[in-house]
Amino acid sequence: MAPDPVTGGEGFLTTRVDAVLNWARSNSLMPMPMGLACCAIELMAMADPKYDVARFGSEAMRFSPRQADLMIVAGWVSYKMAHTIRRVWDQMADPKWCIAVGACASTGGMHRCYGVVQGCDNFLPVDVYVSGCPPRPEAIIHALMDIQEKVRNEYTAADDSGSGDRRPEPAPLRPRVLTPGGDRVISPVALYDQENL
Amino acid sequence: MSMISKENFSETLKFWPRHNEALYRRLESKNSWLEERRGPREKGDPDPLENEMVLNIGPQHPATHGVLRCAVRLDGETIERCAVDIGFLHRGIEKMAENKTYQEYMPYTDRMDYLAPYANNVGWCLAVEKAAGIEVPERAQWIRMLMSELSRITSHLIWMGVGLMDAGAVSVFLWTFRYREDLYTIFDHVCGARLTVSHSRIGGIASDIPDDAIDLIEAFVADFPDAIRGWEKLLNRNRIWIDRNVGVGVLSREEVIALGMTGPNLRGSGIPHDIRVFEPYLKYDEVDFTVPVREDGDCFSRYHVRMEEMKESLKIVRQCLEKLKTVRGPIRVDDAKRSYPSKDEVYYSMEGLIHDFMYTDTGVCPPRGIWSYHAVEAPKGELGFYIQSDGTGRPFRARINAPSFSNIQGLEALMEGALIGDMVMLIGTIDPVLGEADK
Amino acid sequence: MATGRSLPFHFTPVDGPRQTEAGTNPHAKDTTFVPDTVEALQGRFGGAVLEVFLYAGEHTVYVDRSSVVDVCRFLKEELSYEYLADLGGIDLFTDEDRFEVFYNLVSFSAKKRIRLKIRVPEAEPVAPSITPVFAAANWNERECWDMFGIRFDGHPDLRRMYMPEDFEYHPLRKEFPLLGVPGSLPLPPQAPEAGLTLDPFAAAHGSKPVKSFQEARSDLADQ
Ligand code: SF4
Repeated sequence: MAPDPVTGGEGFLTTRVDAVLNWARSNSLMPMPMGLACCAIELMAMADPKYDVARFGSEAMRFSPRQADLMIVAGWVSYKMAHTIRRVWDQMADPKWCIAVGACASTGGMHRCYGVVQGCDNFLPVDVYVSGCPPRPEAIIHALMDIQEKVRNEYTAADDSGSGDRRPEPAPLRPRVLTPGGDRVISPVALYDQENL
Repeated sequence: MSMISKENFSETLKFWPRHNEALYRRLESKNSWLEERRGPREKGDPDPLENEMVLNIGPQHPATHGVLRCAVRLDGETIERCAVDIGFLHRGIEKMAENKTYQEYMPYTDRMDYLAPYANNVGWCLAVEKAAGIEVPERAQWIRMLMSELSRITSHLIWMGVGLMDAGAVSVFLWTFRYREDLYTIFDHVCGARLTVSHSRIGGIASDIPDDAIDLIEAFVADFPDAIRGWEKLLNRNRIWIDRNVGVGVLSREEVIALGMTGPNLRGSGIPHDIRVFEPYLKYDEVDFTVPVREDGDCFSRYHVRMEEMKESLKIVRQCLEKLKTVRGPIRVDDAKRSYPSKDEVYYSMEGLIHDFMYTDTGVCPPRGIWSYHAVEAPKGELGFYIQSDGTGRPFRARINAPSFSNIQGLEALMEGALIGDMVMLIGTIDPVLGEADK
Repeated sequence: MATGRSLPFHFTPVDGPRQTEAGTNPHAKDTTFVPDTVEALQGRFGGAVLEVFLYAGEHTVYVDRSSVVDVCRFLKEELSYEYLADLGGIDLFTDEDRFEVFYNLVSFSAKKRIRLKIRVPEAEPVAPSITPVFAAANWNERECWDMFGIRFDGHPDLRRMYMPEDFEYHPLRKEFPLLGVPGSLPLPPQAPEAGLTLDPFAAAHGSKPVKSFQEARSDLADQ
């Protein structure tokens, strides 16, 4: 019998904890399908018997943000909905990833109009953008594979344990916000008090 | 930038404060701010758990078929009051229509009822053709009709798959998607896209139906009745399905009319109103089909109406296939002022190129100062477009009468008095598509 | 006259009117041609019926704003137009009588459809609500209020339909820009600790999306 190609016949293998963790994580991504519009239908098709996303370990769609680690935003995002999406995103446990499916979620797409946020990266950190209107299920699966690759290459254990290098301080997120009254910093309180802005 | 401490964290996340307040005021509940209360509970406040409870369902909830938000006030398990909030997909397509040419706007109609895009394309094109007085060649009409009926089947299939998944039967979802994939393949062969087809053109259709697509449709028509029979065998006498549907969400004849509901919801309550018969468009007066009607007005009768409709659609598809064998001829009007010239003309003649350019730039111009309305029977009900023209190539006002909008309006009445456990069935049974309702 | 009213927006070259087609429209339906109903309305309401418009075999009856509820009730109770198919607003952008509201009523038994229109001036954008007659008008009137700012007198629950209440404009009015008014709709916070953003086109103004590894940890996730 030829020696086992993985363990080399020794019966064990050595690796880093990070690598194992990331490997496990990447093959059991739990998507939270933020299905909003037409792209959500193709997202459903991704889970159907023909495309079968279960091959990638992501068939368990979780509609509760606490159980999910991958948000798939599929469809155009209106201003009214954006706050809900952000709130759901904030409730997801770290580490988490985000895919913007379709032209609308990526850039606003054909809906260049007052109601639509021109790309959900205006308020979400998006990892993978998928082009298409709607993208075919293959393309969404490809995005999922990109996320898997990203997860496998991430170096996270040191951060998690706190013993390795500290995670660098995040850059200031949005240093300045343009307001109608000029480059002023605004507070949420002022937001709803338009007269005193 | 003001930093938010843990204490006032929920205060900051309170989005659309005035909107939520109005919604809760609508519920007339003394415990309205249960979720986002201002400040801690006072001593004399009533205990929310004692009698009533305010529950927010959606906009991100798997059973709401999109982004529908229902704020309900519960007494025990009974819904006392329900306030439905839509508009989470509002992007202003009526506003966009005023800034696009008639032909340019057609792809936007795909994105309204994205479960049956072809029916929307046809609806818009017919409305523009009515406003501009364009007659469509016969073959194009038959193809439009054939594809509209196929899209009706796709829409009802997704209603069924998702509706049954809500009731707990995930396998039906997988079965219906198998047939949806067949239909998608057909659309792919005919139009080049699976979902957003954009195949209909003003004055005809974009391309003739290829032979391999005809073969696929024939195979589907031969295969599908078996599937329906199987599902009916499974569901018609299924104890769980009957228990969850019979007597749930009953609407009488008077109620559906008063609430303005359309489509299968109307026919499920015994009103034989179908635009295909009421004001026949395309060639619906030349084919033989019946309008399924049920009298009970509950979820089960609406289920039966939709199942029967799929069979009737198959019947129409068969007749269209028969007709397409004999009806030959052009698929678009041969008038470059009213419809796109064929690609052959565009590539090989100067006039064709100029016409193509002009049509893209200006397009068809209905007479000045007129308006007209054309409705089609989309899978969800009466889908009508009202077009007012100022004589230019863009509509002065395009009003969309979306069937889901009318149907969701009935949802509020349907929910009040029902049990919270039936909520998913009630949302499923009216079959809303929010992209259409939210315009 | 309605046909000759000049509308001030001309984005593209104007095509001359082709009124000859009005009578021979290939898509004209029998249902929308209702001379009997128009006569009955004229006989009953006389001066309140302002004018009648016919195109593509569709009758439109302009009625006086104040009498629309009575007209609707008459149509419903005596001519069996029991179903309200559609209701919506139109912004004509003219100086007087800027807005219009149209009603699309259907009679199942007679197989007929009729359109009523009323004119609403800009100075006083109020129309009587027909919800007492047609309950189905509820949401349509709310939508009309949201999109055009036409108030409906006697409406039980006049909230905005689509836009949040915090929005101040009426987007389907002609003067409202297609891309919206900057600052009218806030974006959510960019990070759990950040504030709301007032700028709807933040990316266009140089805002870069936050990479997920740069993002501050969410307190909410730990809770
Ligand atoms: S990208 Fe296209 S298909 Fe996807 S949501 Fe937007 S309009 Fe719909």
